[in-house]
Amino acid sequence: MNRMLFGALALGAALAAHPVLAQKTVLNIGMASADAGKLDPHLSATTPDKALFNFMFNGLVRFKPGSMNPETIEPDLAEKWTSSEDGKTWNFSIRRGVQCHHNYGEITSADIVYSLQRAADPKRSGFSSDFKDFDKVEAVDANTVRITLKNAVPSLLGLLTNYHGGNIVCKKAAEEMGENFVKKPIGTGPFMFGQYAPKESVTLVAHKGYFRGAPKLERIVYRYIPSDASRDLAYTSGEIDMLYGKGEQVWVERMRKLDNTIVDVFEPAEMAVLYLNTKMKPLDDIRVRQALGHALNINEVVQFKGAAVARAAKSVVPIGYLGFTDDVPLLKHDPARAKALLAEAGYPNGLTVKAIHTSLPGMLSTIQVVQQQWRRSGINLDLEIVEHATFHAEIRKDKSAIVQYQAARFPIADTYLTQFFHSSAIVGTPTAVTNFTHCNDADAEIVAARSEPDPVKQKALWKTAQQKLMTKVCALPIYENMLVWARRANFDFGIKLEGSLNLGPVVNELSHFK
Amino acid sequence: MIRYVVKRLLFAIPTLLAVLTIVFVIVRIVPGDPAQTILGDQASQEALENLRRRLGVDKPIAVQYIDFMQGALLGNWGESMVTGRPVLTEVWAVLPHTVDLTVAAILLGALIGVPLGTWSALHRNAPIDYATRIVSLLGLSFPAFVSGILLLLAFAIELRWFPVISAGKLDNPVDRVRNLVLPAINLGIIMAAYVTRVTRSSMLEVLGEDYIRTARAKGVPNRAVVWRHSLRNALIPVVTVVGLYLGILIGNSVLTEIVFNRPGLGKLIVSALNQRDYTMLQGLMVVYAFLIVVVNLVTDLTYGFIDPRVKHG
Repeated sequence: MNRMLFGALALGAALAAHPVLAQKTVLNIGMASADAGKLDPHLSATTPDKALFNFMFNGLVRFKPGSMNPETIEPDLAEKWTSSEDGKTWNFSIRRGVQCHHNYGEITSADIVYSLQRAADPKRSGFSSDFKDFDKVEAVDANTVRITLKNAVPSLLGLLTNYHGGNIVCKKAAEEMGENFVKKPIGTGPFMFGQYAPKESVTLVAHKGYFRGAPKLERIVYRYIPSDASRDLAYTSGEIDMLYGKGEQVWVERMRKLDNTIVDVFEPAEMAVLYLNTKMKPLDDIRVRQALGHALNINEVVQFKGAAVARAAKSVVPIGYLGFTDDVPLLKHDPARAKALLAEAGYPNGLTVKAIHTSLPGMLSTIQVVQQQWRRSGINLDLEIVEHATFHAEIRKDKSAIVQYQAARFPIADTYLTQFFHSSAIVGTPTAVTNFTHCNDADAEIVAARSEPDPVKQKALWKTAQQKLMTKVCALPIYENMLVWARRANFDFGIKLEGSLNLGPVVNELSHFK
Repeated sequence: MIRYVVKRLLFAIPTLLAVLTIVFVIVRIVPGDPAQTILGDQASQEALENLRRRLGVDKPIAVQYIDFMQGALLGNWGESMVTGRPVLTEVWAVLPHTVDLTVAAILLGALIGVPLGTWSALHRNAPIDYATRIVSLLGLSFPAFVSGILLLLAFAIELRWFPVISAGKLDNPVDRVRNLVLPAINLGIIMAAYVTRVTRSSMLEVLGEDYIRTARAKGVPNRAVVWRHSLRNALIPVVTVVGLYLGILIGNSVLTEIVFNRPGLGKLIVSALNQRDYTMLQGLMVVYAFLIVVVNLVTDLTYGFIDPRVKHG
């Protein structure tokens, strides 16, 4: 009898301890990272941190949850807005009754003004350059904010979504905590900061006073699990309910075979591009750059990566971005033409090009495929493989003839074109961002498009810019890698997940276990 | 004895200062920018420069060095450049996990390795000796991440006895032990393999000594020959190896920490290195150096307990 009682108690204890059975209102997420970064939405731009901010902060406006199409932008902390005809003056009516986390009070115009000024301040924000066209942000009254611009910007509403500098922090909390804000970030979103365990997890708790209604989940435990294998095993054992996936076909296929599992493949795709340094020998000769393009077999790379997660890139701007066009001279795979061009450029016996490259496995495997393809056309890609942080430092010193870079940006053509192809972004200069090519051929179109009020003309300018850059072979777009996550089939986001600019799935007040 | 300990600890001061200087120089020689890591690749130059200023990495190296040494000597290790939390707080938060894992692995290694090595030596060239040698060789050559995954597959996935995520609350002793078992076995296997091999060779050497032959000739019972005369003498090299290996173990535990998703010093140092978190790296290196000094001291003191002929003075 005693043995039976003990057995029943042990079984009960085991069931209570089992996360899947007991924690239906707790979502355990496994993220591919060793730890949190600076938990301030105006400072950190790393994927693991951004995915977390997504649960905690609102913007004045937001993308329709589960979408990253700029045309779906809808009200968030602002209920409505108006703009002047020249697009330089905007008035936003702030929603009443929105509460900051941890009893930091109701959001007013003062918070919005403070937050946007903070985001525009290079001393307190990493995204200040996004706000360079802002002239003034002022509180007209307690619930109206006016933004005055120096120049019209391509997508002001885009800057004000809950992404990067658009995330609204609560003034009182940020001022009170100062540098310590990273230890307890305060926003207005459906989940608020609960606890941080170094190298383990961040726990968010439901913000019961959330203005769209109390979240159905009680808690989100965001666990840092850097090992891919351990993350998969933790999911298999039931310790986590959702996990960041490897953007590989094999992983997707394996996860899809698991019971009670849904694999989500969604935007934004990170586009892998080979940026060619047009000022460095031998790539200063356009025939050599064309040869590299003809020697590249994009479809083979996509096949290698897997159709479930990758698609061929079609321009120097990713597919689906506002202003993207595929009406550009994309060089066709033609090894014979590549060899002929090399001979014409004075390299009948082929040539060697040196490049610094990261040791990150996903990027390394891509460049190794390219290396083999180029070898078939007599191009020897001599890779100096370095650790990832070193790679970032070295390529910004303009040391590599070819830079493979993978990125996703705010989905309008301007961001990609400005950061990667405008002369002000050339690496090694005081205003450098990520122009590794030294191309400046599309500067006029990029600048003109920014302030062009007519959307049709704006798109035409972006198209011309892309055509010019592709004609000059400043870069070779390769493929686009989609975001991949997996979750329990009984976990419902409450929305249809097609895209998430913050690079993580959307978990909000509607998300729940069925 | 106390004089000896104090003397050894005083000797540690120049060692620690040298470590501080070397670490300071090395972390700054390696290319990479903490500001870029924190702000990401879209940050403007202005924002990067501002952050470098705030972090103090824009100052001349000599000034940074003086600031750092002053802080270090006054016990101010600064804040992590990445998370903004005090270095000491972060180290203290993970240290118990590392200590748990290291001590458990050492104990496991000694408990398995010493008897197995002794047994193997006593049955030299017998099948059991060959088997022990092969198994210990396997233990040494098996990568920790492979054995870790195999342990997880068997005991966490199939049998469900232990969790995959071994990061648990320290205030719950049951959880603490449950989370420790698999990582400790994983690390303990390597330790046991080392100890087995060293114990075996040390025992073989001692068993061939004249005094052992004399003891046997005198008719001393075999048990006394093995336990009192052989093993005790054979243990000095074993303790040396364990002491040396303890230092390596603290660093080597990183793979085990990553696979079992356990916080610890190893994981902390790898992420600090990846993120170019200079202050965290410096603090961690000093903690490591200090631990090595302490471990060496404890090892030396242990000799005296095993062999009364060893005097400290």
